[in-house]
Amino acid sequence: MAPVVGIVANPVSARDIRRVVANATSLQIADRANILLRVLAALRACGVQDVLMMPENGGIRAHVERGVMRAKSRGEDIYPSLHPVAMPVTGTVADTHRATVEMRRAGVAALVVLGGDGTHRAVAADCGTVPIAGISTGTNNAFPEHREPTITGLATGLAVTGRVPPHIAFAANKRIDVSLINGANGGAVTDLALVDVALVTERYIGARALWRTENFRELYVTFADPEVIGMSAIAGLLEPVGRDESGGLMVRLSADGDGAGEGRRGTTTLHAPIAPGMMARVGVTDWRRMPADVAFVPEVAAGSIALDGERELSFTERDRLSLTLRDGAFRTVNVAAVMRHAGQNRLLTATPVPATAF
Amino acid sequence: MSATMSANPFPLGKDELLQAYRTMRTIREFEERLHVDFAKGDIPGFVHLYAGEEACATGIMMHLNDNDRIASTHRGHGHCIAKGVDVHAMMAEIYGRSTGACRGKGGSMHIADLSKGMMGANGILGAGAPLICGAALAAKVRGDRGVGITFVGDGASNQGTFLESLNLAAVWNLPVVFVVENNGYAESTAMEWAVSCDSYVDRATGFGMPGVTVDGTDFFAVYEAAGEIIRRARDGGGPALLECNMVRFYGHFEGDAQTYRAKGELESIRASRDCLTILSERVIEAGVIGRDELQAVDREVGALIEDAVRAAKAAPLPVAEDLLRDVYVAY
Repeated sequence: MAPVVGIVANPVSARDIRRVVANATSLQIADRANILLRVLAALRACGVQDVLMMPENGGIRAHVERGVMRAKSRGEDIYPSLHPVAMPVTGTVADTHRATVEMRRAGVAALVVLGGDGTHRAVAADCGTVPIAGISTGTNNAFPEHREPTITGLATGLAVTGRVPPHIAFAANKRIDVSLINGANGGAVTDLALVDVALVTERYIGARALWRTENFRELYVTFADPEVIGMSAIAGLLEPVGRDESGGLMVRLSADGDGAGEGRRGTTTLHAPIAPGMMARVGVTDWRRMPADVAFVPEVAAGSIALDGERELSFTERDRLSLTLRDGAFRTVNVAAVMRHAGQNRLLTATPVPATAF
Repeated sequence: MSATMSANPFPLGKDELLQAYRTMRTIREFEERLHVDFAKGDIPGFVHLYAGEEACATGIMMHLNDNDRIASTHRGHGHCIAKGVDVHAMMAEIYGRSTGACRGKGGSMHIADLSKGMMGANGILGAGAPLICGAALAAKVRGDRGVGITFVGDGASNQGTFLESLNLAAVWNLPVVFVVENNGYAESTAMEWAVSCDSYVDRATGFGMPGVTVDGTDFFAVYEAAGEIIRRARDGGGPALLECNMVRFYGHFEGDAQTYRAKGELESIRASRDCLTILSERVIEAGVIGRDELQAVDREVGALIEDAVRAAKAAPLPVAEDLLRDVYVAY
């Protein structure tokens, strides 16, 4: 039986205030649908016949169905059959959680995700052992790697059809678990981040995005990549930590680089790309490695918790907050490794070709 | 008083937060009263109620002054109140009395008060957008750092006037903010059936200006985003679009049976997406404002609305001679 692939495409990513305070991109709905058509064609080329899709009313599905219909009317049979998941549409992140759960139950072999870090976080929370193939359509997008979606679709198709060994096809990923105990009522909130947890002094959620560096206090990252933007870039420009190595990095930040931050002296000022086109001065006090499975209790007494670049939770002096990094938390399709394997083993040639042929 | 008052974590001081709550509560009470009085047949003409959408008007208007202009819609009571138009004059106008904001000759859909920068509610869908471009051009020429805000519903955003205005504002780099109040329905048509590009941000992008979407039921989300967008426009950064996703608690018009809504939809949004409840619970939970303080505001507002209705009912109707008054304007 041919494997089934699930697709979660978020129509509301890349819509926040960073389009005004920075020059973040606004990927149009029609472009997102176009990306999906490229992924679908690649999946079909690998033998994937059926795809489950998250239903949404933001327009992506309608544009995709239009594209599929037009291909059929031209006599082209280049796409898998599309099956929307039967579920109510709320237009919120709850749809992503629900669709992920339903697709996992339906036994999909992989989940192709279109969205920003937030969408990927929602999928990672519920995907279990189903690997994720991420495509960046959000704002900062430290988690999904940037590449042509056709290649992501191709790698996913090759991986789920068993043409690449699993130990090559799939990679383990880290996450940070967040535990917040409400000091007033004892209630517990748990959440997670795929890339970064930032603690800021603003104690309201508001427009969610982070751009006021004077409010940054502590940063915890699963990987520190100097090639990305956002909070991970701050860590990456101090001490790079790879996606594939154990543990992450913890950075203490101050209001500015001159040491004016609430009694804490910044040791240096870092110039970091914290949003698209937005270079900012960030005061850095110090940093240290964040080993896996060790609970970190932040020094910041009250503020907001930003998960993967967006304020999600606020906390007070009465609450108890702890952060724990986990290795091997979920799997992704290792697109680079799959495509390298495909090339080395000539998986896409029509007939076997000798390795030294020319 | 609440037991413990904490340090204020919000971007507004306590007095400003109370003012925000007072504005939102005033809009809500105003609309709830009209809902009742319209059903009794007390009000001439037509009314479209803003209840449920208060956070949008309030979060935006708190960044404006009387020099800034707004162009409103057919659902304009909330915009008027948040911009500072006198509630008594508004109520009298809706009751068609000569003490009204437009001397009783405009009614619900034409309330205006230029002294407050309120250029008028507007019964013509999408008609506010070109008007605000004119006001913004004037501000730009004068160099007084004034900005113009126009509101449009998700349905009216399909009007040619709105699209032309996006283009004009972009090419002239006008200090305009186009606010799309997306309550999900153009009268009775859900937006996914009627908006080809599916996203208002995409629409702005097509005209070369940034667009931002926020939860319009979250006062702080609107306030923070609007603050950045308005500051950008005031500083010469040009136009932008702000989409506020929100809910309306009543029909498109009073008397609308709302058969287009799903079963239980209204009850659900009232229970989970009431912007007044969201704001009040947040400030109480943070220990910044006590529940009793909010209740005191509720009582003040209740008395204000009651007095506005009493005064409106007691005021005289316009007379025949008023028909020829205010027809022309001398410059």
